[in-house]
Amino acid sequence: MADTTDSRLGLNRIGLYAALALLVAFYLSPLESAIMTAFKTQTGFFETSPFVPPTPSTFTFDAWGQAFDRLEQGLVNSLLFTIPATVLSATLGSLVAYGLTNTKWRGQAFVLVLLVAGIFIPYQSVLVPLSRFWSIVDVASLFAWFEPVADRSGLVALAVTHTAYGIPITTLLFRAHYQSLDDSMLEAARLDGASIAKIYARIILPLSIPMFAVALIYQFTNIWNDLLFALVLVQNPANDVVTMSLTSLQGSMVGQYNLQMAGAFITALPTLLVYIFFGEQFAEGVAGGGA
Amino acid sequence: MRSRILRVLRPGEQADAESEQQVRTDGGTSADRPQRGAADSDARADGGVTATADQPSRARRWLDSEFVKSLPFWLPATLLVGLFVYGAIGWNFVISLTDWTGLRQPTYDSFDFEMYEVFFRNVGKGGLLSGPHTQEYWALRNTFVLLVVFTVAALVVGLLLAILVDRDIRYENTFRTIYLLPMSLSFVVTAIFWAWMYNPDTGMINETLRLVGLGSLTQQWISDPQFKLFAVMFALVWQFSGYAMVVYLAGLRAIPTDQYEAAKVDGASLVKMYWRVIIPQLRASTTSAAVVLMVFALKAFDFLFVLFGTRPGPSADILAMMMYRESFGITNWAYGSAIAMVLFVLALGVIAPYLYVQFKRGEL
Amino acid sequence: MAELTLDHITKTFDDGGDEIVAVDDVSIDIADGEFLVLVGPSGCGKSTTLRTIAGLESITDGEIRLGGDVINDKRPQDRNTAMVFQSYALYPHMTVRGNMAFGLEESTQLSDDEIDDRVTEAAEMMGIADLLDRKPGELSGGQQQRVALGRAIVRNPEAFLMDEPLANLDAKLRAQMRTELQRIQEDLGVTTIYVTHDQTEAMTMGDRIAILDDGELQQVGTPLECYHEPANLFVAGFIGEPSMNTFEARVDGATLVTDDFEYDLSQRHRDAIGAREDVVFGIRPEDVEVGADTADGHTYAVTVDVVEPKGDENYVHMTFDDDHETPDTFTATIGGLRQVDAGDSVVVRFPPEAIHVFDAGSGEAVLNRSLDTAEGVDLVL
Repeated sequence: MADTTDSRLGLNRIGLYAALALLVAFYLSPLESAIMTAFKTQTGFFETSPFVPPTPSTFTFDAWGQAFDRLEQGLVNSLLFTIPATVLSATLGSLVAYGLTNTKWRGQAFVLVLLVAGIFIPYQSVLVPLSRFWSIVDVASLFAWFEPVADRSGLVALAVTHTAYGIPITTLLFRAHYQSLDDSMLEAARLDGASIAKIYARIILPLSIPMFAVALIYQFTNIWNDLLFALVLVQNPANDVVTMSLTSLQGSMVGQYNLQMAGAFITALPTLLVYIFFGEQFAEGVAGGGA
Repeated sequence: MRSRILRVLRPGEQADAESEQQVRTDGGTSADRPQRGAADSDARADGGVTATADQPSRARRWLDSEFVKSLPFWLPATLLVGLFVYGAIGWNFVISLTDWTGLRQPTYDSFDFEMYEVFFRNVGKGGLLSGPHTQEYWALRNTFVLLVVFTVAALVVGLLLAILVDRDIRYENTFRTIYLLPMSLSFVVTAIFWAWMYNPDTGMINETLRLVGLGSLTQQWISDPQFKLFAVMFALVWQFSGYAMVVYLAGLRAIPTDQYEAAKVDGASLVKMYWRVIIPQLRASTTSAAVVLMVFALKAFDFLFVLFGTRPGPSADILAMMMYRESFGITNWAYGSAIAMVLFVLALGVIAPYLYVQFKRGEL
Repeated sequence: MAELTLDHITKTFDDGGDEIVAVDDVSIDIADGEFLVLVGPSGCGKSTTLRTIAGLESITDGEIRLGGDVINDKRPQDRNTAMVFQSYALYPHMTVRGNMAFGLEESTQLSDDEIDDRVTEAAEMMGIADLLDRKPGELSGGQQQRVALGRAIVRNPEAFLMDEPLANLDAKLRAQMRTELQRIQEDLGVTTIYVTHDQTEAMTMGDRIAILDDGELQQVGTPLECYHEPANLFVAGFIGEPSMNTFEARVDGATLVTDDFEYDLSQRHRDAIGAREDVVFGIRPEDVEVGADTADGHTYAVTVDVVEPKGDENYVHMTFDDDHETPDTFTATIGGLRQVDAGDSVVVRFPPEAIHVFDAGSGEAVLNRSLDTAEGVDLVL
């Protein structure tokens, strides 16, 4: 009796792991076929199956080199606007969450609902005004006296825009964390004589470090991956961000799949690395933010 | 019952006759209330004067209030969001009421709903059932199909993943990480991957079909209008089912183990247990995951843009794409803005009830 | 060191248009160095009262004075009070030393050395000197509790405000901390207000206790005063475990008539009751004489319903009408070695010197047990 249950259980377990493994194959297959293709020569990827590794005769690094050359400027530009936008939106989100969670006054809920609704806005509904706004607020002429900024007006616009659209989600992430803090701890700090700003600096901020990791990782991934805002806000090709460079690489290298795949991997590399090393935080951001 | 104490008014503040008067109607059950005579109240008045000096003025009090002190924390960022989100939507609405086209500047002199009329007239132009249909019809229809089919499919796959991962397996973290991985990738990257996957000659999908002897099922996945939208949704499910999994896993973890054990004791089979005991409790997870997935679906622009450019054709066109094409492709700004408003209202229809319920439950 | 006066304080909250009175015109004078326990059921306003003293809530009306100074408009940190929270409210990312020093750093001009001296001194007093460099997460509940107390002590306040500080400890540790807390309070001589919902804690710890219900002060007095001379029905029911037995009654000349029994009133009783017609008759469980052998107008035959043995004593629940499915019962406590069983018929006596009578309308006590009888309590008032 016990034996049959055990073997049934064993069979169930085998079935379970088989299903899990099949799903792993499914989820990784686009990446696998892409990475194999990226290491193949043109004849290699046309004549062999996409998931088969390259043979010595069809193996080449060329695609990677060429793709990197095409994307190099885009990568630099993406880093230039993604990092400030990520840091700013996380920092501001933390401040907003503190101001709306751990102080008491009427109307907080209203402000909060407005902010949270901002997470769900389809970007299309603000695209035309955004492009108008950034042509009226002309960063290039405003900063004509400072070339490094004037030359990167599109990136400045992107950084500011992404900061603004990132604040709702980071606010929600930090708020969930701040709500879980012990109220009486903050009251104790008040009784200890700490001002609202001091409480933030000495109590809240040190306790927010894990949440900062979550918010920064989540925002970095979101902002790095975006294409739409860049399409609309970047006018000067010298300011093209990496998702734009990759799109034009794909458009101009029709049929050169090895080059396209290598380019896709190079573009994804920063977010992939972040994901591999901080997957837990990313998952927490995904689950907590709800977007 | 209530008695009021004497409050000494500050000079300059309007005198309130009643508060000058000390009303004492002591009574009730309080056992320890000292009796006070007139002399006592004089003494208190003196004490009150010293207290007055310490009392902050109304302005001072206001400056000291938590509201004012919290302003520096939330106001700047909230203004930024207000400007970029709500300001922009309002502006977009205004533009949608104009006739702005071409490369000239917009003029804000005459407003009407002409663009919306055009849009909805075109939606119904060919007759809703028979053809030939306009691009408006197709974009709206495909948007709805995407919204519903993609969302349901991603929820089902996500739930399945969550249940499998929740079965107390080894290397749970690794499995979870792999299933969620596509979500960390850009639409641009995944679109390029899937363009290659769907390649009719050497793509992974058709190759695999041939390999397992189903060569007859191979298709021109992303050029055949019959399969285009399906192919797109399949790839999107691949990318976002991990998200649904994460939400469902959190929901599953919140269910006490007792219930699994109770169901087992009651003799429920595994399938019955999930169907009748566990899944009904995941309603909240389903709602929040569905809302977010629908919003993803509305934002699927990037993916289609990389696969098809701005003209995916009637079978895969969506409102988000059409809006971009009208505005930034052929500079029909006002018309593009009107389509954007339709999209916004669609999104609002999904999120407003959700946020309202969350707000009512105090879960924001 | 200072006396603390709550002078007619009222606190109302606005709940979506409805005004909720959390503290209703409460006045208490707390002497310098006194240990006053604020007790009442949950939601009675005791914590709110404490929080208004701390400055965490503003008062709607009234005045709070500490050492003669009006403090209700001062900022919390300027009030010279220190609060101990139920959750301890320690800063998890700081060491014990950091936790204790935080208040001194934020609200005084003391040098680092002076702060360190005071922290060390307070830590020694609380027996946590060897834990100073640990973080709260590494401490047991009892140790965290000591840190929380130490953090209050180090501020050298004029008053301690304690909000159920022992509620999160297990029963044994709680009993131990109770005595320790009293010892420390006595040593320091700091005026203390201690909030609890536990009437046992109130009885054992307080110099005086103040009983609150529904925002209103019911009685302030020594524990024994509140026990033996409750001001009203609420206090009579709240203080004492098991609760006082009460029966609604009608005055019929020299007799009290309840649904279950009639009770002969003495002249003393009648003087106190006066012209009242509807009253509530009360008697503490330990005053019920079980198995009385004299028969007078105060003895009754009853049936034992349930017996709860406690070891040192038994709680005997008895009823006048054992025909009923769910009978109304009253409780007597008898010695733990006395044998009584459910279903037994026994004779009980309600001694005339031990009864309480309350006004049925207002609930106020009109007659409390007399304390000067032969078997009376030796009570110094």
